[in-house]
Amino acid sequence: MTAPAVRLERLRGELAGRASSVSVKHGNEAHVEAELLDLPAICERVRDSCGGRLAMVACSDERRTKGRYVLRYVFDMVGVDLFVVLSAGVDPAEPSFPSIASLFPAATRYEREVRDMFGLVAAGSPDPRPMVLHDRWPDGAHPLRKDFAIGTRPGGTDARGYEFMEVAGDGVSEIPVGPVHAGVIEPGHFRFSVLGESIVNLETRLFYAHRGVEKLAEGMTLDQALLLSERISGDEAVANSTAFCQAIERAAGAEAPRRATETRAICAELERIYNHIGTLAGLTLDAGFAYGASRLLLLKERVMSLNEDFTGSRLLFGVNRLGGVGVDALLVAGEVSETVSAVLEDFRKVVEAIRDESSVIDRLSGTGTIAPGLAFELGLQGIVARSSGVDVDTRRDHPYGAYGLLRVDKHHDTRRQATEFGVKLAKARGDVLARFDSRVDEVEGSAEIIDQLLVKMGGDGTLTVPVAGEMLEPFASALGYAESHRGRTLHWVVIGDDRDSLLRYKVRTASFANWPAIEVAVLNDIVADFPLINKSLDLSYAANDL
Amino acid sequence: MTRARDRRQRDILHNGVETDRRLLDRPRYSEGFRGTVALLPGAAGVSWPGCASGAIRREGGKVTVDLGRCLMCGRCQEAAPEAFAIESGWTRPARRRGDLVTVQGGDVPVASAQDAGALLLEKVGRVLGRSLAIREVDAGSCNGCEVEISALSNPVYDVERFGVRFVASPRHADVLLVTGVGATNLEDALRRTYDATPHPKVVVAVGACACSGGIFGETYASAGGVAGIVPVDVYVPGCPPRPEAVLYGILLAVDRVAPQKTS
Ligand code: SF4
Ligand code: SF4
Repeated sequence: MTAPAVRLERLRGELAGRASSVSVKHGNEAHVEAELLDLPAICERVRDSCGGRLAMVACSDERRTKGRYVLRYVFDMVGVDLFVVLSAGVDPAEPSFPSIASLFPAATRYEREVRDMFGLVAAGSPDPRPMVLHDRWPDGAHPLRKDFAIGTRPGGTDARGYEFMEVAGDGVSEIPVGPVHAGVIEPGHFRFSVLGESIVNLETRLFYAHRGVEKLAEGMTLDQALLLSERISGDEAVANSTAFCQAIERAAGAEAPRRATETRAICAELERIYNHIGTLAGLTLDAGFAYGASRLLLLKERVMSLNEDFTGSRLLFGVNRLGGVGVDALLVAGEVSETVSAVLEDFRKVVEAIRDESSVIDRLSGTGTIAPGLAFELGLQGIVARSSGVDVDTRRDHPYGAYGLLRVDKHHDTRRQATEFGVKLAKARGDVLARFDSRVDEVEGSAEIIDQLLVKMGGDGTLTVPVAGEMLEPFASALGYAESHRGRTLHWVVIGDDRDSLLRYKVRTASFANWPAIEVAVLNDIVADFPLINKSLDLSYAANDL
Repeated sequence: MTRARDRRQRDILHNGVETDRRLLDRPRYSEGFRGTVALLPGAAGVSWPGCASGAIRREGGKVTVDLGRCLMCGRCQEAAPEAFAIESGWTRPARRRGDLVTVQGGDVPVASAQDAGALLLEKVGRVLGRSLAIREVDAGSCNGCEVEISALSNPVYDVERFGVRFVASPRHADVLLVTGVGATNLEDALRRTYDATPHPKVVVAVGACACSGGIFGETYASAGGVAGIVPVDVYVPGCPPRPEAVLYGILLAVDRVAPQKTS
């Protein structure tokens, strides 16, 4: 029996008598229905006996068809290519559900989101404050309810106010920062409680850039929603649109042609390269080495201009199409390969020069530490998790598209390399320097993946397969996912009645999962190190706020 | 391929000046860059309702394309190549929102190399003579516009050479460079930032979102562009606009600052 099948058997055994039977969709989604009040107990079993990690909580308003709201708890089964989707209905007459925040700290933010967007209250939640909708929003207005008109404008002004946690004590003072920041960055509010220079508490308040992505998608055609998915977070356009397209393709039972999956992967790795180089430049600049930063920015510019030659967009907008891609990597293979290897060669020189600056390395080392246990517990994703020793990478754990054909993780190629990689991971210190080093490694890794892909580009040149009409059953649903430079982006779609719209589009980005990291990473560091720590985590506000 | 050759640089650690000295009078974009939409004669008989941002309209028998909404996605050209053509030149930023709407048979406001160069020559002297302080405000963008605004500070674009500086506080700013849809949650903060900026102040709306709401339109979460919250002096279309376009928009804004300051 394969590993997922073994895990599935265990799940069936654990849930027998407590929930509906388990049905498997799209190869790796195991769906189970349960009673609302049994949820906490079942979630605990899925975690403790089956190795489940909470990946997302998605609510949907299904009052029209089923007479209720439905909550879906998605678990990622650690170590195997399997997701468990546990669902339970909520009666509109009793708009409440049991909180699981005491079992999964990461659940709190989903529960707050469900409260704001659907008006369902998590009973027993440790943090019942509003989150997505800010002060001017009246009680009783919940945008993702189907009877909420998208054009409704809230009337009031800052009436309600927001209660920040207060840290009292001798000598503790507060520093509020934002939402409008000093640099060219996105909006968010940080409230520091400091004792002298040390940060004793940080509370973030986000969602200033909330643009109503999920609600908007419900009024769009699938192709328009694809354009929207690219604009969830502009610097993650390929990852998010790939996740969206894959979700639709899975729902349709279609598979993108080989050339398309290869092109997607090449673009995704270019996206990873230009962004990682940008973040490394930011770190180098914040640590006071402007020359190193400017060299890295030159390299980022070269990759962005390659992006444009290749796809017509410096940010790689327009790569994806439903059922495939709109550009063909084979046509520009020579240029891509030449530029990437030239950039890589220069990148190594610059990184070496930066590593030679002890003043830079000293600033990064030991700053902004996230302990491994905590990183796992908080459900962190991507490079932030890996830098704290948590071994997660969607490209390897749930191989999608061309990644199934590749050695994504060269470290796992031989037993010795696997051991070396294990040791390296175990040594990951979780500080800013660890995240700096991981980014450098990943730029190398991405360049190698692009190389591998360009060498074996195959397929018959078909760029898209049809994904429309009869293939898409009304109410068909599927997960889609991709590993962006920030970590896993997880999307869930439900197809509408007319087969060309969405009843629900739920997006959980890596940034949403990772934002809680900053509040723990800064503890006991000094305020002056905050920009460095923030940069090293590379969190997107737009991707979080939707 | 010349651009590929451009990218094969000398030794990265000893490469001297890499700044593009002819930033605005020599096109930097590649042939395939999707920069603007032109209306072709065939547009007369065409009505294409599929545009995701609602940029294509039909008014009084005439087709119009609102480049202040356009995402440059190219779908219109694919659906009706006889009516719409995606071109690589970028749309010229404008002082009036209406100037971004092209009417069939009318002019396409594309920045040609010559007029951008002329604008630069005319103004840089003045800009150099003083320094222009810019405060960037993200009012609900996807961060794509921020990526391009940040690029202005890299060694290739190097806006500081024009006397343009990004400052940390609105109190030090002459120009507010605003991106994003004008998010409901940011409305008060944007208004307060505007109020905190000393007179004379100029607002440059950067990107389709800031010009019109772009793909996000006007909803419970979006004011449909920053003009719904603060007065806007210059509109920079694009999704995102390329760095040169943002710089062009800033130069247009200079006009608004300079006379008042010298008086
Ligand atoms: S390019 Fe896209 S957004 Fe622009 S007018 Fe055409 S269809 Fe609309
Ligand atoms: S205009 Fe386009 S790139 Fe700029 S913020 Fe809006 S969606 Fe993003």
